[in-house]
Amino acid sequence: MSDVRAIPLSPRSRVTLAVASVLGLMMLCWPLLVRVGDEAARIDPPFLFLLLLPVVIAVVVAEMSEGGMDARVLAILGVLSAVNALMRVLSAGTAGVELVFFLLILSGRVFGAGFGFVLGVTSLFASALMTAGVGPWLPFQMLCAAWVGLGAGLLPRRVTGRWEIAMLAAYGVVAAYLFGALMNLSGWPFLLGVSVPGAEGDLTFDPTAGPLHNLHTFAAYTLITSTGSFDTGRAITTAVAVVVLGPAVLTTLRRASRRAVVVGVTDPMATTDQAA
Amino acid sequence: MSALPRDLHPVAWWLWAIGLATAASLTTNPLVLLTIVGVVAVVVTARRTDHPWARSFRFYVWLGVAAVVLRVLWRVVLGGGYPGDVVLDLPEIPLPDFVLGVTLLGPVTQEALVAGLYDGLRLATLVICVGAANSLANPKRLLRSLPPALYEIGTALVVAVTVLPQFTQSIQRVRAAQALRAGDTGRVKRLRRFLVPVLEDTFDRSLALAAGMDTRGYGRTGTATPTERRTTGALVIAGLCGVAVGVYALLDQTAPRLLAAPMLVLGTLVAVAGLVSAGRRVQRTRYRPDRWRPAELAVVAVGLGVAVLGWWVSHHQLAIAYPSVSAAPEVSLTALVAALLGIAAVAVSPPPRTAGSVR
Repeated sequence: MSDVRAIPLSPRSRVTLAVASVLGLMMLCWPLLVRVGDEAARIDPPFLFLLLLPVVIAVVVAEMSEGGMDARVLAILGVLSAVNALMRVLSAGTAGVELVFFLLILSGRVFGAGFGFVLGVTSLFASALMTAGVGPWLPFQMLCAAWVGLGAGLLPRRVTGRWEIAMLAAYGVVAAYLFGALMNLSGWPFLLGVSVPGAEGDLTFDPTAGPLHNLHTFAAYTLITSTGSFDTGRAITTAVAVVVLGPAVLTTLRRASRRAVVVGVTDPMATTDQAA
Repeated sequence: MSALPRDLHPVAWWLWAIGLATAASLTTNPLVLLTIVGVVAVVVTARRTDHPWARSFRFYVWLGVAAVVLRVLWRVVLGGGYPGDVVLDLPEIPLPDFVLGVTLLGPVTQEALVAGLYDGLRLATLVICVGAANSLANPKRLLRSLPPALYEIGTALVVAVTVLPQFTQSIQRVRAAQALRAGDTGRVKRLRRFLVPVLEDTFDRSLALAAGMDTRGYGRTGTATPTERRTTGALVIAGLCGVAVGVYALLDQTAPRLLAAPMLVLGTLVAVAGLVSAGRRVQRTRYRPDRWRPAELAVVAVGLGVAVLGWWVSHHQLAIAYPSVSAAPEVSLTALVAALLGIAAVAVSPPPRTAGSVR
């Protein structure tokens, strides 16, 4: 069963994606990168990143769609974003039960890494538009969801059948925990504050301590607040959904992908298919 | 200014809200922050429409309240050891060693509570500003104002937003069809029998939609020459690398300062130039585009003014911008003007179009 690349990634797009991912990771992990100079200045959470990250995401997505997108891919992208957004809205009421990742992972698998990345961005944005959930947290959520879709597209192609479902379910569990940890990391200094010299809270981020110490503090924070509850709920839901509904949905997606994505046209970008 | 009711450009409202949020992020003075929240509330009440998204403001206010409560609770639960006047002496509960020897509860000091309150209030103001933009700006028109380089993504998002009501139809049809037939009644199998036809139906519709879009000239517009693509790629990659260096220098305060803010600005400018360059290939006109008229510019100028004044206060009146947690906060005239200036948006913007005002 050969899967397609609905949005082919040229070498240039790959470099852009890599640079932007490093940049996004830096903005997520900034508490671990901070180094204060000699004079003890006041450290505030860099609110600037909240403005900078949307620009970075916009630039990357623009670069990826530079070669133009087929109308069928556009339509499928829109429809899948709507389904994802709908599932997010429906599952948002119950704590920890999140169904966004399930279809995102399967779509990334079938339509390729580039499509998975863009779908992660559009799904979260569409759901935020529908439920008016646009907030400072949205750029980080978009980036992390995009990585989840990208990773699903990068999983080894050769695995098929039952093993494929097992692999996707395992990936779903890993992705759910990583997503939770990264989102926690983005919110940690904002929610708990930055400790000031002479007044350390126990789990707050301390800019004067080293990155290892802060990583340790963060690990304790995320373990206490969400690993046991939300993240585990999300991981279980995703894995169960992939195992139970995965085979049927994969077949449906593949049927749609065969009709939607025309491969082998004279477009030089499409030849990257054989290389990968 | 203009008396005719009309919707303001959505980007203008967003820029105004970002201006206020910037000023809020540069202070922890509760008086200034509460003034900003009040200003935002007044403007939203005066200028929102009666569309569904306009009702979301209340949700953001509650979210803000939750942020403050959460922040103060954290201080109580984990804040033992903060020096100052003890107002509530709670027993300490040590946790096992593997969680860093964290202790819960412990004596609660007034300073700890006030610090949590100030920080939480800043976060809440930020959230409420974004909420104001959400309820003032029409999201559908905002999608139409996306830069040309994001034209494809914008189209996909419009499809996503408009396709939603069709799901209910699909679901009803599949339900009706299955009610007429016998079949598996187990939970899992029933779900599968239900989900697959709905998805198939959705894809059929989307491919029909794609055929329609194809004939109307949407979609693939790959007219960029290899040279143009190389230029875009180079600009984008160079810009992102510049931003990465800038972010690193901003965080590592031992790095040369020349690499921080200047590099960040330069990198962002180059990356945005890449965005513009990528947008040149999209040769498309917009039907009835939102225009930038004096009212829009005035609203943006108000937001910018608030941001600049807020920045000035945070750099020149440190004691006002970041008041001590052990004394009552004070406010200066400049800080108060900065916070109150945002309300001028009501004066310069036209009233919104509502059901009552159309006729």
